[in-house]
Amino acid sequence: MNIVLRLAWRNLWRQKRRTWLTVGAMVFSNTLLVFMISIQFGMYSLMIDNTLKVFTGHMQIQAPGYKDDQKMRQTVPAVVPLASHLREKFQMQTIAARGWAFGLASSEERSYGIGIFGVEPEFEPQVSSIPGLVKQGRYLRERDASEIVIGAVLARNLRVAIGDELTLLGSGLDGSFAAAVVDIVGIFESGITDIDRNFAEMPLASFQDMFAMQGAGHQVVVGAETLDKATLLQPEIAAALPEAADLVVLDWDALQPGLKQAIQADMSSAFFMYGILVILVAFSVLNTQLMSVLERTHEFGIVMSLGLRAGRLGRLVMLETALMGMIGLVLGAIAGAIFTTWFTVNGLSIPGMEEMAANFNLPARIYPEVTPWTTVAGPIVVFLFTLLAAVYPALRLHRLHPVEAMRTH
Amino acid sequence: MNKRLLLVLSLAVLPTSAADIEPDATRIVREAIDHWRGLSSYTEMTMVIHRPDWERSMTMRAWTKGQDQTLVRVVEPKKDRGSGTLTDANSMWTFSPKVNRVIKIPSSMMGQGWMGSDFSNKDIARADDIVDQYDHTILKREEVDGITVYEVQSIPHEDAAVVWGREVLKIRDDYVVLEHAFFDQDGELVKKLVSLEIGEMGGRTIAKRQRMVKTEEPNEWTEISVNDVVYEIDLKDSLFTLSNLRNPRD
Repeated sequence: MNIVLRLAWRNLWRQKRRTWLTVGAMVFSNTLLVFMISIQFGMYSLMIDNTLKVFTGHMQIQAPGYKDDQKMRQTVPAVVPLASHLREKFQMQTIAARGWAFGLASSEERSYGIGIFGVEPEFEPQVSSIPGLVKQGRYLRERDASEIVIGAVLARNLRVAIGDELTLLGSGLDGSFAAAVVDIVGIFESGITDIDRNFAEMPLASFQDMFAMQGAGHQVVVGAETLDKATLLQPEIAAALPEAADLVVLDWDALQPGLKQAIQADMSSAFFMYGILVILVAFSVLNTQLMSVLERTHEFGIVMSLGLRAGRLGRLVMLETALMGMIGLVLGAIAGAIFTTWFTVNGLSIPGMEEMAANFNLPARIYPEVTPWTTVAGPIVVFLFTLLAAVYPALRLHRLHPVEAMRTH
Repeated sequence: MNKRLLLVLSLAVLPTSAADIEPDATRIVREAIDHWRGLSSYTEMTMVIHRPDWERSMTMRAWTKGQDQTLVRVVEPKKDRGSGTLTDANSMWTFSPKVNRVIKIPSSMMGQGWMGSDFSNKDIARADDIVDQYDHTILKREEVDGITVYEVQSIPHEDAAVVWGREVLKIRDDYVVLEHAFFDQDGELVKKLVSLEIGEMGGRTIAKRQRMVKTEEPNEWTEISVNDVVYEIDLKDSLFTLSNLRNPRD
């Protein structure tokens, strides 16, 4: 073993308790960082997944301008053949055609303005979580049935139950009166009040018939296995569109611009917190190392008068810090990974968070996401700041005069 | 006939018309609405909804009685024949023969377009709210081709259930409305109803063709042309009922 390294290692354990206390601070902050970063990224992917799973999907094919104006006439022509062509070409079931219209839904007693989706009953469950959230009755079955599923809040507002009739009124694609009487076959409950109050889904063929769509729809939703795959898939989908068609493929960030912004805002506030934590640890290391250098002034004076240069001593101090930091890193990462992994299995629920979580489409129980990156990123930053903190004590050695130093006790 | 006699005569015939006294703003607005609706009326009209990439034309028949009751029924296109709306005071019902149901428009939907047009349900239903629920002042008075045109500003009362900040009407001294502009609470012009053609019809001088344009979408408008109108006819109250909206007896 290198003599400097051996010296450093021995020096470290001259003050066992102090070293362990400093290492303890590092381990603690590292564990905390691993845990918090894992939770944070687990939450982001949940937020993205859950938000996109409701209606949006990873990308959508729409008419240009539809995203902003949502006008009835900004259609995707022959939307069902287009969706089935894409399903076949990409061998994916997670592609579904949709129509969307604003309409008036009336029960015997009451009327409300709602958004009506026309969906493909057999493919919608692949791209949206709504079909799975039908708590009463069943989801849509046939393409051209006069059926509808509505949100739980809407059902309550309209005072209707499964089996009741609902009258829909709206404006067709040609401006004509669109009207239909449909049976309520299912009531979904997403827990998100806005969705449960304002939306209903009916089979696409009935929708097209009611709104005189002539085979057109408003969106083709595409879901990918993961976000990364979606990014790769987007240009392929765009290339697979019929050449003459004036259509655009929009990714989830374009469709849900608020989502990325919310994540970025949360991320910057979280990183600010982490920054403070890391700086606190760095100061505790600075304190320890400064103390250990100062208490060895006499000893350093002797070795310097024997001919050891300040630079060499400085490296020794740095090495001591690096060793200490390394112990903190390894122990912290291990402790953090174990601690966090326990929660990835059992989940974490913070009492009173349910309501806030619902706002971000999050479940009440959160499962952190442990990856190599979330495990080492925090500890490595702590390690680097530890080294940085040792620079000052190490540089102080250059100002040491051997004779004066030897006199201090 | 000297001028004085003419004045006396016209006063006798048209007891409400302005004489040599300065008319007040509220009365001008009330007269304009009464002039347009009469005590009762029957109108055949065409509504054209224009969009940059398409246009839709509808023929309709409308009956009005008093200040509150209006029944409108679609004649053409055939597809929508029999569809209609009934308004009474501030409530509105719509009927579609496709589902054979009468549905009351909830108040939250009153701001939506009436029959897909640039007129809102409220524009159709509330007609004379402007008289009672607004304060009126004459902004300007000008002579155009020998006709006096009053520019009246109408500001809704604090408690009026109105989305507008103010409305500005240009009304001729024969109570034909030339222009009706709607401003939001921030004072921005939202939409404007302009009379494009004025002529004699049903024994009155009225705006025969009017166009509603929203400021934000200058290429989109809705035009209503009056093809025929009869004023002061005898209309039964049973005309303005939900059962008549559903099963026309005219």
